[in-house]
Amino acid sequence: MSSNLLLHFRPRRVPEDALRFTLTWGLGGMAALMVVQQLVTGLLLGFLYEPLPVLAFESVQHIQNNVFLGRLVRNMHHWTGHVLIVVVFLHLLRVFLNGAFCPPRQRNWLVGLGLAVTVLMANFSGYLLPWDQLSYWAVTIATSMLEYVPLIGTFLQEIIRGGVEVEAATLQLFYSIHTTIVPVSLLLLMAYHFWFVRRADGVLVAGRERTAFMDKQKSVPASELLVREVALAAVVTCFLLLFSMFVDAPLGDMANPQLTPETVKAPWYFLGAQELLLHVHPVIAVCVLPLFIALFLIFLPFGKKKAGKPGALVKTLFIAGVIFLLGLTVTGIWFRGPGMKLVWPW
Amino acid sequence: MVETSSPSSRRRFLSRIWIGLGIVALLQFSAGAVAFLTSGRKRADKYTPRLLEAGAIGDFPLGSVTLIGKGHLYLTRLDDGGFLAISRKCTHLGCAVPWIAERKQFECPCHASIFDMTGNVIKAPAPRALDLFSITIEHDTVIIDINKRIKRSTFTAEQLIYPQELG
Repeated sequence: MSSNLLLHFRPRRVPEDALRFTLTWGLGGMAALMVVQQLVTGLLLGFLYEPLPVLAFESVQHIQNNVFLGRLVRNMHHWTGHVLIVVVFLHLLRVFLNGAFCPPRQRNWLVGLGLAVTVLMANFSGYLLPWDQLSYWAVTIATSMLEYVPLIGTFLQEIIRGGVEVEAATLQLFYSIHTTIVPVSLLLLMAYHFWFVRRADGVLVAGRERTAFMDKQKSVPASELLVREVALAAVVTCFLLLFSMFVDAPLGDMANPQLTPETVKAPWYFLGAQELLLHVHPVIAVCVLPLFIALFLIFLPFGKKKAGKPGALVKTLFIAGVIFLLGLTVTGIWFRGPGMKLVWPW
Repeated sequence: MVETSSPSSRRRFLSRIWIGLGIVALLQFSAGAVAFLTSGRKRADKYTPRLLEAGAIGDFPLGSVTLIGKGHLYLTRLDDGGFLAISRKCTHLGCAVPWIAERKQFECPCHASIFDMTGNVIKAPAPRALDLFSITIEHDTVIIDINKRIKRSTFTAEQLIYPQELG
């Protein structure tokens, strides 16, 4: 029974040329592993965390200072959450460059976009939960950007904040999104994502003709793939564990709506938008451009009739966009000091 | 709609009705869920006055800016005696703006927007002047309605509230 279910996701034999590490860089597998880790550490934290102002901050302090391995578990949940976004972004990049979004995988590209959005939502909703100055003001700034959306901006902002300001209602809303909608959506979308990969006969190997049945000569038992995946999982887990042992997740002073700290930034993955907001008309930065990016990504696979690498125009546009956004984000993260003045990071 | 009598077309018609009904049900459910989540909330548009007594007129010297901590706002009194209740919330991205007394201006710590005493923008990125709150002056006491936020693009003289002429 259980092996039957498993076979919906994994084949008995896999093509030998699909084993090459540099084909996928193991990015999708890494992301899946990290999601599972987040579920485990998040479940543990959820037993001790209290989603109310003041209590939230104190419970995080309690987890860090009094709970056995509490600091480590929180550190892992924090850092893995950030690394996950990087890995998901690289995975998207890899799939694009390999042309793996093309038919017959176009629907899985959409599921993947859904997963990417959910991962962002997971990180952003988790950002507020420690209820320290950093999280309070980062969420204030990030949700303030919505005010620049024409017509429905204030309405959207009120929906997301659960009120006019970032307050107790916001914390409760973010907590329930973070602990219910996010994990359930992630698991469902992941199941769909894997099943689609299986249905397309595994990962895309460029230049190989898709055959109806696997050639025995060129295929190897699935255990060959599994052993590679387990090895990579072990390496990634070791890295995250070691990093979390030596680097603490930040926890500032408790949130104080009366006092804005010297340096306030949105969560780093929104810093591109925040940086852009300093240079162009707000409607372009928070509305036109994000909408354009979303539509570009959604309709990307439907411009093509059959498999193949992306065309020169699409590729140039995509890579230019990535470099542009990376440049803005890097500037926002490292080159902006107090008062958003340009500074050197060293 | 049902123009042919072939069973497949009837089946298609019926299944379309089912899908249509499903969509209607989904929309009803979503509307109900949204109403459930939003109706019990404190809302900005449901306006009820919340009055805050800032103090006697004499407490605020000419040309001063005083922080009224409870309402998250400043009470500015200009040199000609006019009052303005200015919100602390930066119009750029919502940071709390401190009053820098030695330079006589509001300086936002987040993105370095600068506002003058009246809340006017001196330096971008803030797109418009700081919000105001409604003021009334009764029996020489300044009363601020902290639920009545007034958005404005720039400072104009009509926004100033003057005490009644002393008799």
